[in-house]
Amino acid sequence: MMTNTEPISTCQFQAGDFKSDLKPIWCPGCGDYGVVTAITRALAAIGRPPHEVAFISGIGCSSRIPGYTTTYGFNTVHGRSLPIAQGIKLANPDLLVLVAGGDGDGFSIGGGHVAHVIRRNMDLTYIVMDNQIYGLTKGQLSPTSKRGRKTATSSFGSLEDPVNPLLYVMGYGASFVAQGSPADMPGLAHLIEEGIRFPGFAFINVQSPCVTYGEEEEQLKAQKARIQSLAAIGHDPADRALATERAREYGTKLYTGILYRNPKPPPTYGQGVTERQQALKKQAVACLDILKRFVPGH
Amino acid sequence: MIIGIAGAGGDGVISAGESIITAAALEGCHGIMTKSFGSQIRGGEASCRLRLATRQVLTPNGPLDVAVALDWEDFRRFGGELPVESSTIMIYESNTGVAPDKLPLDGVAPAEVFSVPITDMALKHAGTDKAKNIVVTGLLAGWFGIGRESMLAGIRKKFARKGAEVVEGNARAFQAGLEFAEAHPLRENRKLLAPQAGRQANLLTDGNDMCAAAAIFAGCTFFSGYPITPSTEIMQFFDREIWKYGGSLLQAEDEIAGIGAVVGASFAGKKAMTATSGPGMSLKTEMLGLASIAELPLVCVNVQRGGPSTGMPTKAEQADLFQAAFSSHGDCPRPVLAPISVGDMFGITVEAFNLAEYYQTPVIILSDQEISQRKETVEPIDTSAFKLIERRRPTKAEMVKYARFKLTESGISPISQPGMVGGNYLAAGIEHNELGRPTASGEMHARMNEKRFRKFSPLQNRRDLFLVEGDLDATVALVSWGSVAGVAREALQLARAEGLRVKLLVPKLLYPVAEPVYRDFFASVKRGLFIEQSFQGQLYRLARMYVDFPPGVKTMAKSGSNPIQPAEVLAWLRKENS
Repeated sequence: MMTNTEPISTCQFQAGDFKSDLKPIWCPGCGDYGVVTAITRALAAIGRPPHEVAFISGIGCSSRIPGYTTTYGFNTVHGRSLPIAQGIKLANPDLLVLVAGGDGDGFSIGGGHVAHVIRRNMDLTYIVMDNQIYGLTKGQLSPTSKRGRKTATSSFGSLEDPVNPLLYVMGYGASFVAQGSPADMPGLAHLIEEGIRFPGFAFINVQSPCVTYGEEEEQLKAQKARIQSLAAIGHDPADRALATERAREYGTKLYTGILYRNPKPPPTYGQGVTERQQALKKQAVACLDILKRFVPGH
Repeated sequence: MIIGIAGAGGDGVISAGESIITAAALEGCHGIMTKSFGSQIRGGEASCRLRLATRQVLTPNGPLDVAVALDWEDFRRFGGELPVESSTIMIYESNTGVAPDKLPLDGVAPAEVFSVPITDMALKHAGTDKAKNIVVTGLLAGWFGIGRESMLAGIRKKFARKGAEVVEGNARAFQAGLEFAEAHPLRENRKLLAPQAGRQANLLTDGNDMCAAAAIFAGCTFFSGYPITPSTEIMQFFDREIWKYGGSLLQAEDEIAGIGAVVGASFAGKKAMTATSGPGMSLKTEMLGLASIAELPLVCVNVQRGGPSTGMPTKAEQADLFQAAFSSHGDCPRPVLAPISVGDMFGITVEAFNLAEYYQTPVIILSDQEISQRKETVEPIDTSAFKLIERRRPTKAEMVKYARFKLTESGISPISQPGMVGGNYLAAGIEHNELGRPTASGEMHARMNEKRFRKFSPLQNRRDLFLVEGDLDATVALVSWGSVAGVAREALQLARAEGLRVKLLVPKLLYPVAEPVYRDFFASVKRGLFIEQSFQGQLYRLARMYVDFPPGVKTMAKSGSNPIQPAEVLAWLRKENS
């Protein structure tokens, strides 16, 4: 069976081959422009043609992203990109399935799905564009907004602690956890490529600032000063305990790179499906004869 | 012949019923068996109702010809579900200590009463009171002529694993029941007519298993759902079978994820299905809207139970029709189909996949608790007679500047799937133009809405999805759907046997409302009755949104769990004909 790491075609792709001519709805300066560029670069590096890629998203500014690529895209409903993507992957395991959305899509309305995609180790790459704000609805509190943050729905400051996306997925046992930023484009493209190559569920949190409703310290310019490359500080991505410690620093430190990569990832759900299909194949009766199951005493 | 058996949870009441209906099916007889339980997970009271005949049985409802009480308190808990009348033969466990002339039946005097030492016989012949139900099957086989050889063979097969001693003990218990019956003959012979020789065995299954089997037959290779009573057996059947056909199953984390994965599998080009019941259906509605606007085929089964909210999880009701037709926001059309029996579930499920694929739409199958869980004999089905339809895939020429949502004359556009070169497009819940690109144009929205409705117009003429029975020019008419249609069909037969002129319409396509079919049917009608198991009478109200009925058309609508009896319908027909 084909895996995501083998280019099936010999022709080489450029990032431009994955960019559609649709003009983004995003504000000038939005971090998401960088994310779509990084994704197209990663896809070019992987080398699978656009028609073998299914790019699934939810609802929000960032979820418009599949339309800006030339892959098959599905801009679904709010918070449900992960279940839909899992159905796609199970229906056609040969596809390269990317999932993307915002922090609200992934950790608020759709937060319940994250635990389950992780425990199944579905072979998907999930990119969350985390901007700590609801941009499409014009500036309300998001699940990753800081306590005290004043927004359109927290005029006197947020009364809640934010979700920590990195710790959240580490807690559920994710095997590939990374964080990137459009402030480091080559780094982000590389992370996405690594996530796609990882055999199983890969989570990439992207600090993608909202230029309109975001705060000054979140913007790319400010990020550049704060970014700490995990590789540069000698982080060992195979060390789960250390990765969990560093995940705790979300919100105070801005690490980029692969936080955790399980050296012995569990089998993917898809592998289990294939094994079971092969083991049970010979028990099939012809579909025309399936009603024989109902002959009394069968 | 209608038999009701009730006892405590561990008495094997259901197992006794299953042995009897299995024997009937093997001998080419027909039957329907329904089960009913107290609300406990284990223990508590259990009952089954069996209706057997040499012809197809239309409904399990009706007063009991034979009632068996292993315990009076348990029996009485089922009240109206096991009604004893003056024509009933009452059999009960003598160690209950109740005198035959002092039965706790609220003044009803059964035709005959037999007090049988069932437990003692089980202990004596099988050495365990667990064989009580086997004694009961022996009694019933002896008195009513239900296939004793088949039943004995069934007993031998069932207990074979437990060794020769257990097999022989149970065989002796069965024999003891037979002999007791022979030693105490009925005053009036009530034996089931022997089936014609050489008849082939009938199939035996329930609506949930039939639905899943039909889906696999139709080419469904993906199922995702969340366990919910009374639909779970559909997922369980898929789990046992789907892998063998190269398919897969995902037990989703919730109802939304269940239908979400199905939407995804359909986008990826596969026939896919989910199944649920009322509360789950409420959760799935946003995804139905997504599948409608993205024009993705899928089949969603709603095994209706009593509602609203948690309602009556183990009882049938027909109160989800409005939801099936109208749930999800926006102008959001979708076909709704309802089977009328376990056997009919096969054709309806295949039809649901065909409609879903052909029209690129979600299709809802409205089953109900009764059809889903009742065991029913089904005459062998010639599956080769069913045609399977696949979605309209784009031609090579159409993949140049591919327009996924092309505004065609039929409203049906070519649909590609990931992996097809040149078919790349953006599926979306957002309104789109022909190319699938998001649009905010009001004009485009209007045109796409019109397309999404127009494509269903051929359904107006699907007369094959309606059953019309009786005297076609009758002025008195019945309309009914789902499991209740069986009650109406039986009432129709009884009425016509009395010489009454009457006809019946049974829609299996409930929505869109096929206006010409109703208009033609009602052309001759002055008095009519919609018979439905819901408080509001939802089909009556839904159809009236589209069709003007004669003023004499009314409803007999009852909330779920109060089975409508053929006799009630017959009484109305007599009144209208007088």
